[in-house]
Amino acid sequence: MRIKKAWRELPLHLMIIPGLLFVGIFSYVPMAGISIAFQRFIPARGLFGDQKWVGWDNFDYVMELPSFMQVLWNTLYISSFKLVLGLLVPIVFAILLNELKREWIKRSVQTTVYLPFFLSWVVLGGIMIDLLSPSSGIVNGLLKSFGLEPIFFLGDNKWFPVTLIGSDVWKNFGYGTIVFMAAVTGIDPGLYEAATIDGANRWKKAWHITLPGMRMVIVLLSVLSLGQLLNAGFDQVFNLYSPQVYESGDILDTFVYRIGLLDAQYGVATAVGLFKSIVSFVLIAGSYFFAYRFAKYRIF
Amino acid sequence: MHIVASGKGLHNESVDIACGIVSNKQIGGMAMRGRIGKRQYSKAIMLLLAAIMVLSACSGNNGGNEENAPASQSATATSEGSTEGSGESAGSEPSAEPMGKYDPPIEVTTVRNLSDVVENNVLGVLQGETLEDNRWSRLYEEQLGIKIKYDWVVKGNPTSDQYLQKLNVTLASGELPDFLPVSPIQLKQLAESDQLEDMTELYEKYATPLTKDILSQEGSGPFDAATLDGRLMAIPQVEPSIERSMFIWIRTDWLEKLGLQPPKTMADVLAISKAFAENDPDGNSKKDTFGLGMTKDVWGGANGLEGFMAGFKAYPNIWVEDAEGKLVYGSIQPEVKKALQALQDMMKGGQLDKEFGIKEGGKVAEDITAGKIGMEYGEQWNSIWPLQLNKNNDPNAQWRAFPLVSENGDLTKVPQKFSTTKFFAVRKGAKHPEAVIKLFNMHLEKNWGETAEFDTYYAPKEAESVWQLSPIQPAPPKKNVTAFREIDAARKAGDMSVLKGEAKTIQEKIELYNSGSEEGFAVWGWERIYGPEGSMGITDQYDKNNQFLIDKFVGAPTPTMVERKSTLEKMQNEVFIKIILGEPIEAFDKFADDWKKLGGEQMTQEVNEWYATTK
Repeated sequence: MRIKKAWRELPLHLMIIPGLLFVGIFSYVPMAGISIAFQRFIPARGLFGDQKWVGWDNFDYVMELPSFMQVLWNTLYISSFKLVLGLLVPIVFAILLNELKREWIKRSVQTTVYLPFFLSWVVLGGIMIDLLSPSSGIVNGLLKSFGLEPIFFLGDNKWFPVTLIGSDVWKNFGYGTIVFMAAVTGIDPGLYEAATIDGANRWKKAWHITLPGMRMVIVLLSVLSLGQLLNAGFDQVFNLYSPQVYESGDILDTFVYRIGLLDAQYGVATAVGLFKSIVSFVLIAGSYFFAYRFAKYRIF
Repeated sequence: MHIVASGKGLHNESVDIACGIVSNKQIGGMAMRGRIGKRQYSKAIMLLLAAIMVLSACSGNNGGNEENAPASQSATATSEGSTEGSGESAGSEPSAEPMGKYDPPIEVTTVRNLSDVVENNVLGVLQGETLEDNRWSRLYEEQLGIKIKYDWVVKGNPTSDQYLQKLNVTLASGELPDFLPVSPIQLKQLAESDQLEDMTELYEKYATPLTKDILSQEGSGPFDAATLDGRLMAIPQVEPSIERSMFIWIRTDWLEKLGLQPPKTMADVLAISKAFAENDPDGNSKKDTFGLGMTKDVWGGANGLEGFMAGFKAYPNIWVEDAEGKLVYGSIQPEVKKALQALQDMMKGGQLDKEFGIKEGGKVAEDITAGKIGMEYGEQWNSIWPLQLNKNNDPNAQWRAFPLVSENGDLTKVPQKFSTTKFFAVRKGAKHPEAVIKLFNMHLEKNWGETAEFDTYYAPKEAESVWQLSPIQPAPPKKNVTAFREIDAARKAGDMSVLKGEAKTIQEKIELYNSGSEEGFAVWGWERIYGPEGSMGITDQYDKNNQFLIDKFVGAPTPTMVERKSTLEKMQNEVFIKIILGEPIEAFDKFADDWKKLGGEQMTQEVNEWYATTK
C-alpha cells in the first residue's frame, strides 16, 4: 500500500526537481560570493583568486558613510508603506468589486486596473517624468488651474517618497485584486444565503463572511511579503530618482548598484548586500513565527 | 540612464510576471484546497512547497542579481582569457614598419561609446557611413590592414552611467577586447592584476616621430600616469589642458537690450544674472528666464561651475598648493563655501532653475535653445554646441565668450584639471599589441602629418566631428591655440594665403560665415571661437598672462583614490547640489569633515608623499 502510494506520488516529487535545481544554482551557489564582503576585491583576480582579506573593514566603511543610515531608513519607510497599502487597497477594492451585480462591469474594471501591472518601470518612468513635471506636466497643469502651487513630485524630498508609494500601489493593486477576488469566489454562497435569511445587510456580510473567508490568503500574502521588506523596488526607484532626491528616495538596492557597478567598489557593495540579506532573513523568520502565533498558520 | 535601465528593467519585469502568474495560480489553488478539507492535505502541502520554491527563487534572483553577476562571470572569463592568450597562432606577420600594412588584414576588437554628437551630427548626416563602416575604418583597413570590431557600443558620453556600468562589468568579467580605453584608476587595477601587455618597447619601436612628438607636448604627466613600476602599461590619449579653459558665455543681445556692460568683477556677474532673470530679457513679459545655466553634473565643459567658483578663488576637484607648500584638495577649502553661498542666494532669488538637479546637459541645452538662459560658464567650443542651437532657433541671439572675472577685478586664475583621462591599454596576449600604436600613428598622420587630409578626416563642413568616428582620437595639445595664432597673425597681416591645414579650413569657415549665406549661418559657432572676438583669443590671453592654475597631482592614482575617489566625488556633488537648493551652508563643513574621514585624509597624505618625490 505504502509503495503503491509512493509510486503514485512519484511524478509530483519529480516536479520539484527543476525548482530545486533553480534554487540551488541561482540562490545557493552564488552565496560563495559573500566572501567578497570581507575582501578588497579586484574582479580581474577572480572569485577565488589572490584577494586581500580585510575583515570587517568594508562594514566599518559602510557604517561611516553619511548616507547609509538615511538609505536604510528610506528603504524601510518606503517599503513598509508599500506593503501595507499594497495589501489594504486591493482587499478593499476586491470587496467593493465583489458587491457589483453586473458581471461585465466587474470584469472590465478588473482588467483595466490590472493593466498597469504589465508595464515596465522603464516605460512608466519616462511617462511619469513627463506627466509630473512642474513646468509642463499635465498633473501640475491641473493643480495650477485650481490655483494651487505646482508640486515638484520627482524633485522635492517631501513628495518623492509619496510619489513612489502612490505609483507603486497604483501599478500593482490590480494584481492583488485578482488574487483576493479568487479567494472571495471560493467562499461558499450558502453562507451568504444563510446571512440574508438572518437579516444581515451588505456591510455585515462583508465583515462577517467575506473578510474571514479571505483570511488565509491575506495572512499568506503578508507573511510572504514581509520577507521583501528591504526590497523597496529597484526598478521603480532607479528609473525615477536623481541625486536631488537621494536624501528621501535612495534605497539599499540603488545604493548597492551605484557603489558596486558605477564606483567599482565591489567589496563595499557586497557588504551592504549581505547586511540586507541578514536583516531580511530575520524578518522572514519573525513573520513566520507571528503568523503561526496569531493566525495558526504554518507553511511546513 | 534609460538605455541600460531598459535592458535590466525589462528582464526583471519578465521574471516578475512569470513569478506572478505561477504564484497566482498556486495561491488560488491553495485557497480552494483549504476549503475542500483534509483529505488532500498532502497534495496541498506539496503544491505549497512548489509555490514557496518558485517565490523564493524569484526573490532570490532579483536581489542577488547585482552582486553576483560580475563575480560568477569572472571565474569563467579569466580562464578563457588565459587560454586565448597562450595560443599565439600564426597569422599576419607583424609588420615592423610603424605605418606598415598587415597582409592579410588582421582584426582587432575594442569597445566604445556612441555620443549624441556622433550619432546625430556625424552619422546622421553622412550617407552610407556607419559606426562599423566609415571613412576612418576604411582608412585603417586599406592603409594598415587593420579591421576594427566593436565588442559592444553604448549610447551616451564616456562619463554616463550606462557606459561606466558596461565598462566596469567588462573589466570585472575579465573578457577584455584587444585594446580598450580606460581611466587611470582602471588602468592601475588591470595592470596590478597582470592583464595588460607591457607597451614600453612597443611604443619605442612602433610610434612614428610625429606621434612621439605630439604625445609629449603636454609634458611628461600623461606618460607618468600610465607608467607603473617603470613600465609603460598603456598609451595615453593626450588631452590638452589648455583647451579646457573656462569662459563666461553671455548673450550679448540681452546685455545690450538691458543696457548692461560685460562683467569685470563677480559683482557684475551676479548683477547680470539678476537682470537676466528679472528684467525680462526675452521681452515676453513673463518671468521665465534664468540667470545662469547649470546641470545636475555640477561640473563640465558646458554649464559647469568651475569658472564661477574660480571667481571666488575656489578651485574644486583639483589639488592645489597651500601656503606651506603642501598639496590640499580644492573642494574642501573655505572659498568653495563662499561660492556655494552665492549660488544659494541666486537660487533663493529665483535666478536659477529649481529643476537643475535632475537636468542633464542635453536638457539644459534645450533651455538654452529655447532662449531661457543667457549666461553660462563653459569651454571654448560651447558656441558650436549648445549655443549654435539657440542661434538656429533665434537668429537674433548673439553670444560671446568673456574671460573669467574675480571678486576684486584682478586677473583670475583659470583652474585646469589634468585632462588626460583616457589611456589605451592592450589586453595581455593580444595577437597584435602594436596595432593600437599604428592606429595612433595613422590618426595623427592623416590630420596633422605630411599627408594630412584635414577636410576629409577631421572636420569636413558637412560633419564637423568626423574625427570622432575613429576609436582613437589623439590630437596635438595646443593645436587650437596654434591655429588661432596663425589665423590671427594672418588677419593682422591681411594675408590669408599663408594658412594651411587646420588653420586654413577654419579660416574658410569664418569667411563662409562672413559671406552671410545660409551655409555660413550654420558655422556661426566657429566664428565665435576663432573670429576676432572669439574664445580662442581669450585662451591666448590666458596663456600669455600666465593665468593657468594646473592640477598639481598628475601621477598614477594612489591606492585610496582607486577605491574611494568616485564615491567621494559623488558625495561632494550631492552635498553641493543640496546646498545650492537651500540646505543650510553649514552642511559644507560637515561635508569637509566626512570627506577627510572617508578616505580624503589618507588620499591627501598619499598625494603629498608623491609630491615630495617630484621635488
